[in-house]
Amino acid sequence: MRLPITVLTLALSLLPSSHAIFADEAYSVDYQHELLGLPQPQTTFFHRPRKDDKATLLYTLSDLGVLGAVHPGTGKVVWRQLLAGEAGEYNASSKGFLRPVEGESTVVSAVGGRVDSWDAMSGRERWGNLFAGTIKDLEVMETTSGDVKDILALYDEDGKGVLRLLKGESGNVKWEYHGEITDVPLQVSTNVEKIFVIALHGTTGAYNLKITELDPVTGKQISEHTLRSLSDVHSPEDVLLVGANSAAPIVAWTDKDFKNLKVNILGRSASITSLPLAEADGPITKVEIHAPHLIQSLPHFLVHSHSATSNRADVYHINPASGTIAKEYELPKLSGKGAISVSSQAANVYFTRLTEDECIVVSSASHGILGRWPMRFTGKDGALLHGASEVVQRTGDTYAVRSAVLTSNDDWLLIRNGAVDWTRPEGLSGAVAAAWAEIPESENLAKTLEAEAHSNPLSAYIHRVNRHAHDLQYLPAYLQALPKRLLTSIIGSGTASQSGVLARDSFGFNKLVIVATVRGRVYGLNAGNQGFVLWSSKAFDIPSNEKWDVKGIWVEQSKGIATIKGSKGESVTVHVVTGNVLETVAPGSDFIQSTVVVETPSGALFLPISLDGNLDEVPVDQAPKDNLVVQGKDGEIKGLKFDTKGPGASPVVLWTFQSGPGEKILNVVSRPPHDPVASIGKVLGDRTVLYKYLNPNVVLVTAVSEESSYVAFYLIDSVSGDVLYSVTHEGVDIQQPITSVLTENWLAYSLWSDILVTEATLPGSKGYQIIVSELFESAVPNDRGPLGPTVNSSSIEPSDIPNAEPALPYVISQTFLIPEAISHMSVSQTRQGITTRQLVCTLAGSNAIVGIPRHILDARRPVGRAPTPAEMEEGLIQYHPVIEFDPKMALTHKREVIGIKDVIATPAVLESTSLLFAYGIDVFGTRVAPSAAFDILGKSFNRLSLVATVLALWIGVFVLAPMTKRKQINERWATQ
Amino acid sequence: MHLSPLSALLLLPAALATHLRISVPSTPLLQQPSTLPPSTHATLITLSHHYSAPLTVSNAFEFRNVSSGSYLLDVHCHTHFFAPLRVDVHEGLKLKSDGSGVDDIAEVMAWGTFRGNEWGNKGEAVVVKEVEGKVGVWGFEVPARVVKDYYIERAGFSPLSLLQNPMILIAGFSMILVFGMPYIMDNMDPEMKAEFEERQKSSPLSGGAQANPLQSFDPAAWLAGAPSAGTKEKRDDRAPAERGVTR
Repeated sequence: MRLPITVLTLALSLLPSSHAIFADEAYSVDYQHELLGLPQPQTTFFHRPRKDDKATLLYTLSDLGVLGAVHPGTGKVVWRQLLAGEAGEYNASSKGFLRPVEGESTVVSAVGGRVDSWDAMSGRERWGNLFAGTIKDLEVMETTSGDVKDILALYDEDGKGVLRLLKGESGNVKWEYHGEITDVPLQVSTNVEKIFVIALHGTTGAYNLKITELDPVTGKQISEHTLRSLSDVHSPEDVLLVGANSAAPIVAWTDKDFKNLKVNILGRSASITSLPLAEADGPITKVEIHAPHLIQSLPHFLVHSHSATSNRADVYHINPASGTIAKEYELPKLSGKGAISVSSQAANVYFTRLTEDECIVVSSASHGILGRWPMRFTGKDGALLHGASEVVQRTGDTYAVRSAVLTSNDDWLLIRNGAVDWTRPEGLSGAVAAAWAEIPESENLAKTLEAEAHSNPLSAYIHRVNRHAHDLQYLPAYLQALPKRLLTSIIGSGTASQSGVLARDSFGFNKLVIVATVRGRVYGLNAGNQGFVLWSSKAFDIPSNEKWDVKGIWVEQSKGIATIKGSKGESVTVHVVTGNVLETVAPGSDFIQSTVVVETPSGALFLPISLDGNLDEVPVDQAPKDNLVVQGKDGEIKGLKFDTKGPGASPVVLWTFQSGPGEKILNVVSRPPHDPVASIGKVLGDRTVLYKYLNPNVVLVTAVSEESSYVAFYLIDSVSGDVLYSVTHEGVDIQQPITSVLTENWLAYSLWSDILVTEATLPGSKGYQIIVSELFESAVPNDRGPLGPTVNSSSIEPSDIPNAEPALPYVISQTFLIPEAISHMSVSQTRQGITTRQLVCTLAGSNAIVGIPRHILDARRPVGRAPTPAEMEEGLIQYHPVIEFDPKMALTHKREVIGIKDVIATPAVLESTSLLFAYGIDVFGTRVAPSAAFDILGKSFNRLSLVATVLALWIGVFVLAPMTKRKQINERWATQ
Repeated sequence: MHLSPLSALLLLPAALATHLRISVPSTPLLQQPSTLPPSTHATLITLSHHYSAPLTVSNAFEFRNVSSGSYLLDVHCHTHFFAPLRVDVHEGLKLKSDGSGVDDIAEVMAWGTFRGNEWGNKGEAVVVKEVEGKVGVWGFEVPARVVKDYYIERAGFSPLSLLQNPMILIAGFSMILVFGMPYIMDNMDPEMKAEFEERQKSSPLSGGAQANPLQSFDPAAWLAGAPSAGTKEKRDDRAPAERGVTR
């Protein structure tokens, strides 16, 4: 057991300090939005994590499958769990469930086939169990005894409803009940004495409700009956509510045109009570029912009906003895949208109604308003969609209420007595694409200077004098600000300006990030100010079961606008500073596979590429200058060039690359658009040079074979279509992430490789690997290979000899073992490319992003021997097969970032620094300096001690000068 | 042995499943395993099988339904390092040693493993035993190894580190020599001083000019036809005297 630790310490000692994060820079250079996703109405609630403590936490299971607890006072996340599997995408059809266990420190979640019980305080799992099928409903089985409460889980297993009672302490199955195969399982409900399984019975499109009553102890069927709802219920969504855990659980649905509400009290009889729905300002568009979820609560419920312009509510009481339902009172019509939420305290049930003007709390028993607060909204919050409330009775008749409300702007607010306590930008979660944008410069001064340069000297001079005279008015303010500026520069309060003004800074750290999310929203973030959300605008209304598939963002720096294109051909143009939507193109019928920004004779152009990889004919002045690489219908890769000889430019297929039989092309990567190379060669220790193979027209293709579980990488010249280099790895688990990156003269990829059963002779190792390959022009130093003497070279005609082989790069590869999967790779970018690049890897397993220094990933590290002095001079260290992800490499340091899909990099003005932005569920941004911050004074620079030294010297000079003078005079004049 | 083809079939990994309970013990490094963050989880990986389990309230990772195979166990934790383990799960039927029938066996073995070494290179075995009172639940422990330290502290300015610099030490020594020598010379008694100067005159360092006559060769004087050894001698005499003054 000694080896891993020694290996670890070795790895730590190898790491130079410049790659780590300084303790004083953490949390100041980086920023994070710790997000959950949009809270769902049925899975958001306040719950006491400690039984004997009144403090509550706010729990939610979001639309992205993140379970989280939020502190209602501060809005900070207490704990989070990503329930959607690491590999599996969470989609809206796999609905999740979350229920609190009243009186226990437990919340129970169910997603897909999994049921988990979580400790409400710490976020640790109590138990988890996985079953076949998908979850349809989850309820907590209330008990009259003080035992741990059991959990009811209703599954849809191949179209058949299966109800399982899970033991509250272990999650093991107590009993199972199998429903009939013809029924669609819908929900489960209970009133302690009985369990009700509600299923849809009938043919698709017209269902009756079938209620099966079960015995909670044995799980045996007691009785079943059918409710006639054929004309009203067409799909599971048409059933509004199945109350659970109340003295009188109900099932309710409406007729087609929202005229009547049909209610049945479960366990009573098959009688259906019809309650009329009163219209308010036009036809009703939506009906919601709010009922308490506590067994001891009064059996009251509220019907909230929305029309297009207003909303109203009715409160009904159920008489458990007689089984009748009577209307008690109604909440008057109010214009606009409103949210009503229910909260219960012992037997009391409170309804909280939030509208744009006020917040009121009523008791279910009578219509008297217990509390009324005016709403103090900033006006930009949007309409209130739904919320969860907690009503607290203070002394006497005073009440306090706090509600967590989701707005139509995808913000999650906590409203305490009408005032907004905090706002969480939850809509920012689920980002699918992002791009960097420069802050548009104010060009006034540049314009004036240009005007002066072009006018005649005299008028230019007068203009300049006038301008300077005009500038004098700013002098007093400047002088006033001067002491403060001096002071801040001495104390060194930071480099980035924290004032609200959006302006570029001299270091280039102030940049904007445009983020597009799955819900059709676009956000603008200020990377220079801790990722502050500057604006958000709705681009498209995306249905909740779909996702906005963004194919590309193009930022036109000169105009200050960003264009976002989606997969259905839709696009939206926004202003990068204000977020105003300038232009929208509705989704069309042409689906696109990707987008590309191309250089054309008439400027840059944002070109969509259709699914089959074909491009239309374009005018000659809009023909891309460069070659394009597209993927065809059958997965083949094509190289296209626009032929500009005719009247219009039409794309010509130059070459087609078809991967081997049974291979599927996983992805194609090219060098980043901004990929400057400062040095064309690598100077070796003996002062010879290995010339880098720097071909801008190369793509790296990843192809996998599912049957033979191998992966092949092809490096293809995108002009000629020649395969420059290829490599195959066998025994690769292709279910595990395979990522690759191509930059400068090197490429890297990572995969999971197993030992092969067939190759017993070769010792293998099981685990994740990262492979680095460096491309050089020739194996011999000071030799430029076949292309050496030529000034220009062509990929198509590599030499004067006809049909000659292409000049192949000399490739050095090295494999390193890494402890965990890399789900995404990208490379840092700097302005000139002088700074070494850093490989930025996203580790989904440990919720982190690490930056691996390039010198560790050097393919030329000497194997099996210590480096020679010449190699040491180059900075090469001995090869060690394992790269431990040292925590000091983690760019996210102590932060946990979840669901990161992509990391984008952009250069700052400073050569040493690259800005990174990671998005997915969370949003994270930081600055990296792979070769240490050599062109900026860090926080270690002590301005105060510098000033103190200068002052001390100054004082010394002033004290010593008269003394020396006196001594000199004395020497000359004084007599012995 | 007409049984052998059948038994070979039975030895194949059956679709049965094992329950593993891997607990994090309290060690001097990690006295309270309950302080580990809720995101701590463990993964069991082999080709085309991937299991993940979060840390439970009882400080254990529960893997239900693990099928037979040789797995790599990794614990991902934000605050501590854990050593990787190799976990072999065998379940199924095995031919009895005497060939009289088949045994229903289930066994779990765990060893330390080393990244970068072949899979067959097993480290120290970890004690695996069935959890008390539970049939078919196998348990073993994975202790935390190293605390993760994410930051480096900036080396602040300290005068002591400045003094340790060899350049500063050399400079300081020569300073002492330059400034201290005249005082020592002044305080020396005259006899000793004279002796010292005498010795310096004859020392090879100061007498080096005579050692190499080519060095003191004056081509201009020689060309002018005045190779006067006497003047040369005089000049040589003067040189040490001058040196004495500058000291």
